[in-house]
Amino acid sequence: MRPVLIKVLLAVVMSLPLPALAEIAVPDGPKAGTVARKEGLEAWERMFAVVSHPRCANCHVGPSDRPMWSGESYGRTRPHGMNIRAGESRIGAETLPCATCHIGENSDVAHSAPAVADDWRLAPVEANWFGQSAQTICNQLRDPELNGDRHYTEIAEHLGHDVILHWAWDPGGTREPAPGTLEAHIEDILIWGAAGMPCPE
Amino acid sequence: MGRLKTIGRRAFLVGSTAVVGGVAFGFYLYKKPVENPLLADLGSDEAALTPYVKIDAEGVTLITPRADKGQGAYSVQAAMIAEELDVELDRIRVDPGVPSPAYWNRALADEAVPFAATDQGAMATAARGTVGAVMKIMGMQVTGGSSTVADGFEKLRIAGAVARETLKAAAAQKTGVAVASLRSQGGAVILPDGTEIPYQELAADASRIEPVTEVVLRQPEQWRLIGKPMLRVDTVAKSTGTLDYGIDAKLDGMVHAAVVLNPRQGGVLSGYDASAAKDMRGVKKIVPVTGGVGVIADNTWRAFQAAAAVECDWGPAVFAPEMADHWAELEQAFDTDPDSRGRDEGDVENTLGQTPLTSEYRAPYLAHAPLEPINAVVLIKDGRVDVWTGTQVPRFTQNNVAAIAGVEPEQVHIHAQMMGGSFGHRLEDEVARRCTELAMEMKGVPVKLTFSREQDFSHDYLRPAAIARMRGAVEGGTVKALDLAVSAPSVLTSQMAERQGMPMPGPDSSISQALWDQPYGIENYRVTAHRAQNMAPVSSWRSVGASQNAFFHEGFLSELITAAGGDQLEQRIALCTDDVSRRVLETVGEMSDWGRELGPDRGRGVAFCMSFGTPVAEVVELTNTPDGIRIDNVFVATDVGRVIDPVNFENLVQGGVVFGLGHAMNCEITISDGGIEQTNFHEYEGMRLYQCPQITVKALEHNSRIRGIGEPPVPPAAPALASAIFDATGVRLREMPFNKFVDFL
Amino acid sequence: MKLTVNGADYALDVEPEMPLLWVLRDELGITGPKYGCGIAQCGACTVHIDGMAVRSCSVEVGAVDGEVTTIEGLGTRESLHAVQAAWIEHQVAQCGYCQSGQIMAAASFLEMNSEPTDEDIDAAMSANLCRCGTYPRIRAAVKTAAAKLNGA
Repeated sequence: MRPVLIKVLLAVVMSLPLPALAEIAVPDGPKAGTVARKEGLEAWERMFAVVSHPRCANCHVGPSDRPMWSGESYGRTRPHGMNIRAGESRIGAETLPCATCHIGENSDVAHSAPAVADDWRLAPVEANWFGQSAQTICNQLRDPELNGDRHYTEIAEHLGHDVILHWAWDPGGTREPAPGTLEAHIEDILIWGAAGMPCPE
Repeated sequence: MGRLKTIGRRAFLVGSTAVVGGVAFGFYLYKKPVENPLLADLGSDEAALTPYVKIDAEGVTLITPRADKGQGAYSVQAAMIAEELDVELDRIRVDPGVPSPAYWNRALADEAVPFAATDQGAMATAARGTVGAVMKIMGMQVTGGSSTVADGFEKLRIAGAVARETLKAAAAQKTGVAVASLRSQGGAVILPDGTEIPYQELAADASRIEPVTEVVLRQPEQWRLIGKPMLRVDTVAKSTGTLDYGIDAKLDGMVHAAVVLNPRQGGVLSGYDASAAKDMRGVKKIVPVTGGVGVIADNTWRAFQAAAAVECDWGPAVFAPEMADHWAELEQAFDTDPDSRGRDEGDVENTLGQTPLTSEYRAPYLAHAPLEPINAVVLIKDGRVDVWTGTQVPRFTQNNVAAIAGVEPEQVHIHAQMMGGSFGHRLEDEVARRCTELAMEMKGVPVKLTFSREQDFSHDYLRPAAIARMRGAVEGGTVKALDLAVSAPSVLTSQMAERQGMPMPGPDSSISQALWDQPYGIENYRVTAHRAQNMAPVSSWRSVGASQNAFFHEGFLSELITAAGGDQLEQRIALCTDDVSRRVLETVGEMSDWGRELGPDRGRGVAFCMSFGTPVAEVVELTNTPDGIRIDNVFVATDVGRVIDPVNFENLVQGGVVFGLGHAMNCEITISDGGIEQTNFHEYEGMRLYQCPQITVKALEHNSRIRGIGEPPVPPAAPALASAIFDATGVRLREMPFNKFVDFL
Repeated sequence: MKLTVNGADYALDVEPEMPLLWVLRDELGITGPKYGCGIAQCGACTVHIDGMAVRSCSVEVGAVDGEVTTIEGLGTRESLHAVQAAWIEHQVAQCGYCQSGQIMAAASFLEMNSEPTDEDIDAAMSANLCRCGTYPRIRAAVKTAAAKLNGA
């Protein structure tokens, strides 16, 4: 990484307030192997409704570095306006840091830039969800090569403490939140995992 | 008193040279000198040699009465005076002056008469003189119609020359040196031995002698400033954040206000509940204003917050509530008697034949949305009213504020502020009116009213939505007949009659502006304008009727030329009847190397429009990429007779192209429940930098009259883009915004 | 509440949720940053916090824990920042209302990316809206400023 980028990453972090203590405890969930495949697939269906929802998928754009604008509040599906490029840094450090606008607290003002107490950023390239099928996303999530080498309980943990993910259920303004609740989503991950991470054929 | 009378006559010098013809409405009144407004506040050692030049101990102040909304008006006006006065632009002060009939705008009259700009015949000239006389009597100090340079080019240079020669005469009297041996340079009269006498030292003497009335204007080859790149007087301030706009005005004890107005534009306030808002921090007063509620607080943000917390009961819509109704109104207007038939040549009906080519084109409402939201500061104290606001119509504002405050217009003092854009919005003065209503509740305290961006959008007066129905016939490879009918609401009635109380009888030439007056020689050619009723209130939007009509006219002309199998540029050149315009078309062809192979997935289009007497031709080149259309290049050729500042000129042309393209691609205002749906820039972007093409500009100087450039580059942009999109993709766009039909990169 | 702006310390008595923009403009009288949209759509309010460009209309003053620099603190008439000098050289401004924000955005961008490509400039500067359409000159001025900052 170029030295200039390190400089800006530092600046981004330094200019943000301390993260709010918003992490949530992740329950143990059912024991592995105690959940039937059918039940696991049902949990996956609910998980898919979340991960394919615009609040999540708009920033899970795979190899592209353009966040998307899709869903009810945007009218038509298109890349984020203003020619936004998150770059290789995934935080816009090469051109315009996401945090130039997505900074501070989440706002309820309609159409303002949402923010959380963490760097606003795109998801990793491997987590490619936007416009992808349930099968493709499911296979990504259970593939250690693509899921950050995480056991399913670690995926659940990740949901528990990464506050940018919590934003999906509290998006501010007039945005439609992701379906269900964060807690239910974590529970579904644990059920799906305990069923052996089944994916639709 | 003797001195006042002497200088009073001097004002006449400027007025009289600007006067041509002299017909109708009382010769006496027309020729009567107007009072020099600079005399009112003059100190004993100051001189106001003309209404445009003031000299005091501090130095030279040039009065630039045409408003600066970003187009560099202060700079070009100052340059025209300075050219003859022999002062340097970085050594003088610029002041917009006070509203006064002395600053009436004659060139604007050119647009208000039913004669094409190319028509220099006796009837057209006489008509312009008549309307000009009316405007003078009304004291129409208006900035608009791209008229600042056209109106000031002679007037301001003469003002500079009169002041210079009078100063030289004063120096001659003081030193005993003959005037012929004196020179002037750098704000001083220079004696043969090289001694410099600064103008300020001559001011008092100059005010006591008879002014020099015989002046000879310098020839272009003698010009120091005009035609050469100059540093605008506001560039450094605007690059260091030190220029104060109206919104930045700071007065002692000032309070900050916001309004929340009926979202059904023009609707009334039926009732309101301020119980939640009144106890919010910083709130001083919550009062009803026309059409809504005003909140006065100690900080703009607190005023915004409290305004949002007021619960209002709004009256019903005052015009057709839904957008579909507006389109229906426009359609119905085609069945009504025409408002005007600006052109009717040949035998259109018979040459159209049984199977003419037909097309319907549409243009949406648009907002002005200058980046600085509209604002004003009003202070009412001891029967005097002071108004700080950016305005293109200071005289109207003076009268309107006076009526609300219950004082005479002379007691209203307008302090014209620099504007962060306008595009026509500051031809309106609703913010000064609402602010005056609030200031009446806080007498003795300066009240600043800032419209939130949402209020600015939802209470803008719009560019008219319009429909054109066109028929045509081609024969032998060329256009044989063109029959254009347009339907739009009347800007003149809405803006001038309904909001400014100036009756506007007769047809509204803006409905068919740039349709009936284009320099094309089509044998059978007819233009009919219909006036739609029950529409949203509308206003002048950068280039006025030309902004939509050029899209209609040039768009359909392109279809006809395609049907005739002709070349878009060659056919336009062949049809053109005006030498200046033809050269503009030929030039844009040379600039763009028209006809060269562009390569796969690329296309080009050309369009022409003469508006405000300025012919502009634009060529758009683009690429149809897998991710959408990318505009690569725009070439612009134009002719304003004389370019004052080539740097600012190029900037304005480029900006006009961006404005024309951006709105054609990306913008519309729609109506629902009697109100404007778009509330901020997320749904009304115009153009952003990444969509901006390379824009190459060439100015010719063959036009026999000097013309403006603020608006004329806008109209050809949309049709040139549509034509290029057709060339690249085969998709014919007949409705704006284009992004409803094609994707842009 | 304390705030450091352009090197000066201020003690404030305001709601922590007041956007930084309105603290600067109405409480401190620092009016270089402009109000254009209030929702981070136009960029006219751009200031730096510890050198990074942020939209001051969208940052609550209570969340600011760095030094704020506005256009007034970037450079002055007598001592211009390279970006301001380039803006004057190219005479970018028309109405000029967006230019404080454009200049602040460009200065922060060039600090991070000293040798921007045309594509980089188009990405970095497209979130600042100019209604007058000065984009061709903004592009040229950013390049000139980059060259100057690199000692060319």
